[in-house]
Amino acid sequence: MVERSSSISYIRLIRTYGTVVAGLFIILAFSIMSPDSFASIDNAINISRQISFLVIIALGATLVMSVGEFDLSVGALASFGGVFAAKMAVAGYPIWITFLVPMVIAFGIGFINGWIITRFRVLSFITTLAMGTILGGLNFRLTGGATVFESIPDGFRYLGQKEWLGIPLLSFIMLIVTLIFWYVMTHMSFGRKLYAIGGNEAASRVAGVRVALNKNMAFALCGMLAALTGILMASRLGSAHPTGGDGLFLSAYAAAFLGMTSFKEGVPNIWGTFVGAAIIGVLANGLTILEVPTFMQDVITGCIVIAAVLMQKLGRGQG
Amino acid sequence: MTLLKVEGLNKLFGQHYALSGVDFELEPGEVHALVGENGAGKSTFIKIITGVYSLDAGTITWKGKKVTIPDPDSARQIGINVVHQDRHLIPSFSGYENLFLGLAYPKNKSRLGVSWKEMRLRADQLKAEYSVELDLSKPASRMSPPEKTMLEILRAMMLECKLLILDEPTASLTDQESERLFSLIGRLTQQGTAILYVSHRMDEIFRLSDRITVFRNGQRVDTVVGASTTKEQLIRLMSNAEVKQSLRRSGKKLTGEAVLKVNSLSTNDGKVKDTSLNVRKGEIVGIFGLAGAGRTELLETIYGLREAAGGSVEVGGKKLTKLSPRVALANGVILIPEERKRDALIMNMSIRENMTLPVLRRFSSGWKLRGRAERSEVASWMQEMNVKAAGPEQVVGQLSGGNQQKVVFAKALLSSPVLFLCDEPTQAVDVMTREEIHRLLKAQANKGGGVLFVSSDLQEVLDISDRLYVLHDSRIVAELDNDGVTSEQVLGYCYSHGKGSEHHG
Repeated sequence: MVERSSSISYIRLIRTYGTVVAGLFIILAFSIMSPDSFASIDNAINISRQISFLVIIALGATLVMSVGEFDLSVGALASFGGVFAAKMAVAGYPIWITFLVPMVIAFGIGFINGWIITRFRVLSFITTLAMGTILGGLNFRLTGGATVFESIPDGFRYLGQKEWLGIPLLSFIMLIVTLIFWYVMTHMSFGRKLYAIGGNEAASRVAGVRVALNKNMAFALCGMLAALTGILMASRLGSAHPTGGDGLFLSAYAAAFLGMTSFKEGVPNIWGTFVGAAIIGVLANGLTILEVPTFMQDVITGCIVIAAVLMQKLGRGQG
Repeated sequence: MTLLKVEGLNKLFGQHYALSGVDFELEPGEVHALVGENGAGKSTFIKIITGVYSLDAGTITWKGKKVTIPDPDSARQIGINVVHQDRHLIPSFSGYENLFLGLAYPKNKSRLGVSWKEMRLRADQLKAEYSVELDLSKPASRMSPPEKTMLEILRAMMLECKLLILDEPTASLTDQESERLFSLIGRLTQQGTAILYVSHRMDEIFRLSDRITVFRNGQRVDTVVGASTTKEQLIRLMSNAEVKQSLRRSGKKLTGEAVLKVNSLSTNDGKVKDTSLNVRKGEIVGIFGLAGAGRTELLETIYGLREAAGGSVEVGGKKLTKLSPRVALANGVILIPEERKRDALIMNMSIRENMTLPVLRRFSSGWKLRGRAERSEVASWMQEMNVKAAGPEQVVGQLSGGNQQKVVFAKALLSSPVLFLCDEPTQAVDVMTREEIHRLLKAQANKGGGVLFVSSDLQEVLDISDRLYVLHDSRIVAELDNDGVTSEQVLGYCYSHGKGSEHHG
């Protein structure tokens, strides 16, 4: 009996912290292979800046996944955020307005995503895919297909390029956003309701949870975070491209799925997503330092996501 | 030669005999009706002879030979088919495709593809043989209820079918549509197919059947010849003679004010029709009805889970502005659903998170959930309800069925309700838990709350309710004070309302 239960808790331990351990192992491996370039404080700071975009957009994806849905428009929403903010900055609006307005619009677009899905019982897959296509087209319409970079005021680059105490502001923003959403998901009734809906929608409805409204809010916040990601990218680069954020979409879900394998087993969760995004970021950074070509990086990242998901299934048979 | 002979059939579910010592005989070409209350064992019996359940004791003799029927496919191979109330058709498939489900598809010349021509040919032959008129080219989803029933029967006839079991086949049919079905039944029996007919509708039973077998509490009570039996005799056979007197909790008539008042409530889909009822303070009110009478739908509409088309609901003298679970909960109404796993619990969340979900606002200061208050309240209810778990943080999915049940009730009590809506409160629980739940409902009433529950177990309704309503075909057909009411009387109300009759008790 004792052996049996200890082996079960061993499996549980792997399932709960396996991804974190794997992440540490990857860091260790890179540190050995490249002690000078990888294992330095400068590089650690660099990584924290590199992953900030992925973490923020993946947090949005996590919210939507927690209610058992998907938002495939996050990439286009990020591109939209960057392009819209840059356009407004060029037009001479105050910087804070150029940041705020696209986030509010994206919040609205996300809410509309949710509304279509909950009101007409359409698959979120299809709805958000279509919304992403629409936005992709609009992004080109907004920019005429060109990168927006001319006459962007210096103030626009502040958040993306400045540092504080030697640490990029982007890294601080990432941490603050993560902390806020960790608090929302674990200490506020809104987060509890999102998890309840994801766990069992019918039971949540019986318990008086306004399923549609809460889902819509999850989509809205997801849209807002995606736009924020795009704005920060534009601020970092000092320019915005109509497809600039599109590439983040798949990585965002890879991070969220990796995250589901840690801390709260099988459930999308904030710190899990953070760790997932960090692993993807560390891989990209380390492999670049080791001069592994980009396409091989993709192969390796994909394999690691599959491995993590398989590991989570480990021992599931016994319930 | 007797077609089917069953002897000494026993079936146990846990400690409980679902069927005991059942003997049964069926002749070729006869229409044999199977009647009995909910839970009398009809379904279990059918599931055994169609290979869905295994039997624990007894023998089945088919065409003079002893057989075992390990699975539904074997039943089909030897010629036993069943047409269920909930039809087993694939909606997007055409009639032809549905006919060939589970059979080898005829191949075309290439030996790779399906020969649609041959499929059509065989299907049309079959249609002609039983003179069924049905457009098989349209998908099942576009067929009307009677068309679907016809399709299912045709499908049963694809292989040589000697015994066709029809389970409530007319439940969703109009009178005219039923006529078409009856004439098809006539043609089938002429060709020697025996029909085992399960129905609650007395008129049909007497019209169609040669013999009628009555089940009660898992036993065969009697088999009678249809032509020489009256409806009253049959109802007497079905009703439980052992229940002489109901075990009410008090003799007094409650005249207190109403906790719940429902006025001519109805839904668009006709599952609830012009229903009015009330529950007084301190009263336990039962709703009894046969399967498909609209019991669950009624509770769900009152609670606001289903959209009401008309009527109103008053709780504690206050008319609810809107019917939704949220408004109901805010007014102290809580529903305990029938399907606990599906509708009441979130399996991957903790006991604590499950229990406080309906009243989260109470533990939230707006920005923060007050964890300590939440934990202490949950802990005290867990103790009160005697939930056996590692602690409030244990995930509900890891608990035993009985403990999950307790969590459901603790969750309901935690919301301090003035009115309990209970859907089949004791379905699939053991005797001990059943007693406990009954005690709990009584305690709730004694504290001045109201309880409205539906049950398909007539004994339960007579045991614990002060007053009861009989539901038939989505309407209330009788309101009875539980004062010496017999099960025979109640069943009388259920059965005496034939299809289409607009009688109010």
